[in-house]
Amino acid sequence: MKKAYLFGFVFVMALTVSLGAYSAVLGDSELVHFWVAVPAGNVTSPMIMRGAGPPVSISPLVIDLQSRGVLKNTLQPNLEGVSTHWIYNLGKKPVRIRLDLANVPPDIKVDWEVNSGFEYDASTHTFTTPLRPGGSIPNLGIDWMFHIPEYYMDEPVVYDGGLEVIDADTNALLTFIPIKFINGGAGSGSHPGGGCH
Amino acid sequence: MTPKETLIRNRWRYSSFIVGFFLFVAPFAILTRAVYYIVGNSADPTLHSICFRMPIDWIFGGRFYSILGSSWFMAAFAFGVIISSIFIGPAFCGWLCPVGAFSETISRVVPIPNRYRLRINDTKLTTSMRYGFLAGFILVAALVGYDLASDQLGSICCRYCPSSMLQNFSSALFGDLSALEYWHSGSIITLLLWLIAGGLFMSGGRGWCLFFCPLGAISGLAHKVGSRLGFYRVEHENGSCTGCNKCKDLCPMWAIKEDRSVERGLCVNCKECMHVCNAYKLKRGKNSGGS
Repeated sequence: MKKAYLFGFVFVMALTVSLGAYSAVLGDSELVHFWVAVPAGNVTSPMIMRGAGPPVSISPLVIDLQSRGVLKNTLQPNLEGVSTHWIYNLGKKPVRIRLDLANVPPDIKVDWEVNSGFEYDASTHTFTTPLRPGGSIPNLGIDWMFHIPEYYMDEPVVYDGGLEVIDADTNALLTFIPIKFINGGAGSGSHPGGGCH
Repeated sequence: MTPKETLIRNRWRYSSFIVGFFLFVAPFAILTRAVYYIVGNSADPTLHSICFRMPIDWIFGGRFYSILGSSWFMAAFAFGVIISSIFIGPAFCGWLCPVGAFSETISRVVPIPNRYRLRINDTKLTTSMRYGFLAGFILVAALVGYDLASDQLGSICCRYCPSSMLQNFSSALFGDLSALEYWHSGSIITLLLWLIAGGLFMSGGRGWCLFFCPLGAISGLAHKVGSRLGFYRVEHENGSCTGCNKCKDLCPMWAIKEDRSVERGLCVNCKECMHVCNAYKLKRGKNSGGS
């Protein structure tokens, strides 16, 4: 009987660790969570930004739609998302953050789902509260949901654009994080498994 | 016992489920709203805003800055639940947690014959499996948190999140249908484990609570310690037991042993057993039965 208890313990423990491993796989290609820091310029390769706040790891996103889980690819292949919970100001002065997605084809509809501890103007995608140096937007959650038409799903590159982080007062581009959806090839989600807070 | 009798006998607990829903789940989220008001946070609170599991992930992953940072109230809440479990048992799990309440309710409302529902009668096996999950959860949190395997492992908390799903169901119910728009593989797996396998096809509907909730598992340990110290727990008295086994059939946490004593590592003090049998009493003080 003791063997059954040991087996039960080990089985569920192994199942849990397996779910963690699968989470890492999914985190690279489904609802990828990534970090944002300003000012970072054009992010062409993975880097660790250091400045007024904590070190922030940022990188371009290359999401391989073919690497998604079987369940996602079977049940809902035409809707993909990216998400962030972290926008840090590593600069030396307060900045009001405006966001935009670059190069979105007119037939790909993107839903912005934003929740934040700062006041947010949904019409301009602007956080009206200035973000102080070293700080991050509290309790932030942004999901960008891309509705991809069926006829795009065979393209080798489905979306090739990125996230623009702009100083809302001067219109200066502070950070550009390239985002690419591809079909086949290695993806590069920056934060496997995601984290919510 | 008919569903109506069950409803009447457990009316206070089922009312408490509704209170839990109003306290934590948006658009109400009264408790979270109050906390946000106190800390001056203007974000829209949801069930997801006070995560019940992440503070445990932070502790074992060495992310103490998260506990002390802007989400300190989440840690305070989780520790509050664990500490209170020493004194009054895992009452949060049994009476207030919207995630467990929802799957238990679904299980009770959907009439699937019991022969299609899994129940493990050996409490030692259930306990082994429950703490096998906790060990796996701690292992993953540590390996990811200390950057020992962060490329190979991802967060269990966030990828498999029944709180997000319940919040999405609620948002859709109150008019925001877009909340149910996006599904990822993790959320589909969670749906299967939480509501389908753990809810509909496990007796009592608390499969997720038993096998996939770290807060529940740690609260169970706290209750085990607390009951040995003489704090509130449910006890079985052999004298008035008729051996009818109704207690075993009704316990949603599978916590009744062969000799009808209570396995405290599983019990959530829901009092379902007390409502069908006079042999069960809520007790305080030393000289305890059970384990």
